[in-house]
Amino acid sequence: MAVAAVAVAGSQRHRALSEPRWVRWLLTGLALATFGLFLLLPLLTVFGEALAKGVSSYWAALSDEDALAAVRLTLLVAGITVPLNVVFGVIAAWCVAKFDFAGKSVLISLIDLPFSVSPVISGLIYVLLFGLQGLLGPWLAALGIKIIFAVPGLVLATLFVTFPYVARELIPLMEEQGTEEEEAAVVLGASGWRVFWRVTLPNIKWGLLYGVLLCNARAMGEFGAVSVVSGHIRGQTTTMPLQVEILYNEYNFVAAFAIASVLAMLALVTLAVKSALEWRFSKEIAGMGH
Amino acid sequence: MIDVKNVRKNFGGFAALKDVSLHVRQGELVAILGPSGSGKTTLLRILAGLEFPDAGSVLFDGGDATHVAARDRQVGFVFQHYALFRHMTVFDNIAFGLTVRDRASRPSKAEIAERVRHLLSMVLLEGLADRYPSQLSGGQRQRVALARALAIQPRVLLLDEPFGALDARVRKELRRWLRRLHDELRITGVFVTHDQEEALEVADRVVVMSQGQIEQVGTPTDIYDHPATPFVYQFLGNVNSLSCVIRDGVAQVGAFNLPAPIRAGTQDGSGVAFVRPHDLHLMAPSEGGGAAAVVRHVTVLGPLVRLELNIGGEILEAETTRQRHAELQLAPGQSVVVWPRQVRFFLDDGWQGSSRLDGAPNPALRAAL
Repeated sequence: MAVAAVAVAGSQRHRALSEPRWVRWLLTGLALATFGLFLLLPLLTVFGEALAKGVSSYWAALSDEDALAAVRLTLLVAGITVPLNVVFGVIAAWCVAKFDFAGKSVLISLIDLPFSVSPVISGLIYVLLFGLQGLLGPWLAALGIKIIFAVPGLVLATLFVTFPYVARELIPLMEEQGTEEEEAAVVLGASGWRVFWRVTLPNIKWGLLYGVLLCNARAMGEFGAVSVVSGHIRGQTTTMPLQVEILYNEYNFVAAFAIASVLAMLALVTLAVKSALEWRFSKEIAGMGH
Repeated sequence: MIDVKNVRKNFGGFAALKDVSLHVRQGELVAILGPSGSGKTTLLRILAGLEFPDAGSVLFDGGDATHVAARDRQVGFVFQHYALFRHMTVFDNIAFGLTVRDRASRPSKAEIAERVRHLLSMVLLEGLADRYPSQLSGGQRQRVALARALAIQPRVLLLDEPFGALDARVRKELRRWLRRLHDELRITGVFVTHDQEEALEVADRVVVMSQGQIEQVGTPTDIYDHPATPFVYQFLGNVNSLSCVIRDGVAQVGAFNLPAPIRAGTQDGSGVAFVRPHDLHLMAPSEGGGAAAVVRHVTVLGPLVRLELNIGGEILEAETTRQRHAELQLAPGQSVVVWPRQVRFFLDDGWQGSSRLDGAPNPALRAAL
């Protein structure tokens, strides 16, 4: 009797909280249609175009000397910028979230700057700064250091564009966690370094991982800023997105989409890794909220 | 043993502590009691080394610790919201203070495991060593926090509102348990609370603070029976505050005309007088003398009955037993006569004292007054 009453109450509440069937179907259908049209279809097109002339020409496009150089360069740039931004991001987030100091709001604005500035402009700034006609250009040229139209320029531009990803991911998390655990660790006799490694870092590791994945995806996919400082020297300063553009402009669609498919796969792998980690450690992540 | 000497602390323009001095004896459990903003937590954090005073000094066992960093003070600190390391098991939480030591002073793995096991049994949490904090109840978390603080064998144990985040039943249990634990360990302890019942029940001595200053230090009985200031009297338990004028041997306290308290010096004066709700004696109009009152509201709280009375336009709170409530058949709108059994005077000239007025006067005496 009591069970029946509870069940009735339960079903009534269920009804009170949900929409009529046709509304549910309409909303679900709209969401799925949007997803299919704007995300799934383009993704399939990339692979479709890449394989339009068969697997052999797809492989030929990928094993081209310039294509391989572009892949290597992209990995090199990401391999340098992501670790640097992890270090900068963690330090910046630590400062902003755990301490109060004069100029804190200025620092937060600076961290956000790359989000608000067009990537092309940020690339241009480096050209104006380090280019031959730039502010520091003659001095660098005299020393024999080449930044613009070379790998250092690509790294700098990517570093700038991807700077906020790690810090922005960590600041809200660290602010929410407060400083009590760190205080507890200090009172228990831990040194500053130990507090960081044993308390702060483990508490932010999931946020840090998301930040790294986002930062990596953007570092590999960045086009605008890199395009300005690259100089488009084939096999030397073209990253994968730039290589795609060059090939596309030469009407070499199969090769362009073949490289694009590799970039797309990198994104899919990133997504899969993130989901797999979330699933594997869901219990621990849930515990982080406390 | 802790000595606090003339400590001051400002946050911006706000004076959190104004010249606070305090002595805590070896093995004593002291409660710092005060409302929020009274500076009690600031004082505790200064003892822990989490804040540093602007002036004054802190001594542990006679040695100056004012500028010693928190990590070198060897104090145990229990936070109100536990501050357990959320990514570590209960075992790792308790062992933390031992595992972060330098290799030279770090106990062996077996010793650490042994000590953690001992602490777990002491806080009655055997079998929960592998749980994460998120899998524990509030009371269990607080006991883990206490075990973690005790693991480093601290010289003093500091607790910041240790039971503040727990529900009433668990709080009561943990309070008694903390008292027993302290009786066993005899560790010097200081805890902060805003709950007077907690302070009076658990502590050897109570320090009452208000607005960055210490109002009174004493045993729970001292504080309750001989409050030094109007603030202390009001803060410990419910109280009715009435204006009072003393002239020609009669004390006019609100609507009551009472015999003036016997005191030295000037006879006349004015100030405030306090009456505890349970000291207001209720009678039927035919039973005796006092001030006429009308019952406004009746609340039954288990064995007690709390009443709101309107006495000459002033609202007073009274408490009586269920039995008395039944005898008088108290209900809103009913007229009663009220007589204060005990009144505490704090006069403007600095004099203070209680006068006991056992037994209500008979109507004839009332006429004489």
